Amino acid sequence: MTIDPKYFELIQADIDGEIDDTGKAELENFLAESEEGRAVYGELETLCRSLDGMPTIDPPAHLRHVLLNQAPIRAASRPSPGLLQRLFSGPALGYVGMFAAGVALTLALVDSDQISRSAFDDVTGLVGTIADSEFAVPEHGTISVDKSEVAGTVTLRSTGPILIVDFDLSARQPVEIVAAYSDKTIWFNGFAQLESSGTSVAAEAGAVTLNMDGKRRYAVYLNNPGMRPATIDLRFMADDQVIHEAQLSFSEAN
Amino acid sequence: MSEPDDTKLMERCNNGDRQAFEMLLARYERPVFNAAYRMLNSPDDARDVTQTVFLKVFEHLDQYDPKYRFFSWIYRITLNESINWLKKTNRLEALDGDTADSASGPEQEASNDQLSESMQAALLTISPDYRAVIILKHLLGCSYQEISEVLEIPEKKVKSRLYTARQLLQETLIERGLHR
Repeated sequence: MTIDPKYFELIQADIDGEIDDTGKAELENFLAESEEGRAVYGELETLCRSLDGMPTIDPPAHLRHVLLNQAPIRAASRPSPGLLQRLFSGPALGYVGMFAAGVALTLALVDSDQISRSAFDDVTGLVGTIADSEFAVPEHGTISVDKSEVAGTVTLRSTGPILIVDFDLSARQPVEIVAAYSDKTIWFNGFAQLESSGTSVAAEAGAVTLNMDGKRRYAVYLNNPGMRPATIDLRFMADDQVIHEAQLSFSEAN
Repeated sequence: MSEPDDTKLMERCNNGDRQAFEMLLARYERPVFNAAYRMLNSPDDARDVTQTVFLKVFEHLDQYDPKYRFFSWIYRITLNESINWLKKTNRLEALDGDTADSASGPEQEASNDQLSESMQAALLTISPDYRAVIILKHLLGCSYQEISEVLEIPEKKVKSRLYTARQLLQETLIERGLHR
């Protein structure tokens, strides 16, 4: 026996809560007499329940900050954003390809020991390359920050003796980040960022201090010559107040 | 005090009210992100599409016609942007369903529900037009009339598209032994 298509429509409308009284009465009469109709009803209802039960997922913690950072352009009635603004206000990881070569170059330089420790006393010229999350280096941990002042992630990676602290953050106001490492054999080996300005960096023994505002992607390279276990303590500050603290660890086992 | 409706918030946004934009964002960030995620099956792509959607909303505030409801506008942008993304990445064709994103993502942390994962994989086997109607109905909770408004198609077509989409999903799930 085949079911009249109008009953399929009524079954669907009933399950979707969109049936009127007349249709409901007609459907009930049909179902009372049709075993096949009841089976179809049951199957569709089960499917719809499964679909209704699909979980929603949380958007990335920093997404709202990124979106909010797009808002002031309009609110302040600024002229249309230029190419660079559009690039950096758009999907960030779409531009990874442009930087891949730079990453390779940076890592090659670092690995080859062509850069001496003293070469990094002045780091202002080191811009334009960054390690992307798709770059094939081991990842040792990621911390998330979700504060009203700043949100995003910081990931620790390594390649040989080089530790790469990858910052992907969006700040709504100036934020200072101190990355401190207690092991004195570790030394600051470089800094790279996706934009040529926007983040400043100061390195001293045992700590790197970064100042940022807006949406930024940058990386700090540390040389851990003994490849010993190490911890990096991160302190986020805004308006001279500590707003978040976190720790990333590298262990030999990794 | 009741929350201001979307139209009021849009008016305020048009006047440069940042707080109104934040409220709209709080209301729609999650549904937009999730709709894009279900369309694209990738949290990273969904994030980028969500960003594009809100950028478009923001850039075209003055083009918003208040006689239409805001949600239908933003959901239409979301689905169109998702389909554009699929085109751009050559993923417009329905997949065989075995290519569901297996990367460890937020969803896997939130739920190990195998049926849910199978459902997502099955969703990828139907065309984006069918996927869109399922997402509007089951994820965003839209009525036939609302789906009709978002997709700009007659209600009758919404019903038939929804029916076909469900049939296709059911067939896929039965093939995989996950449904009666």
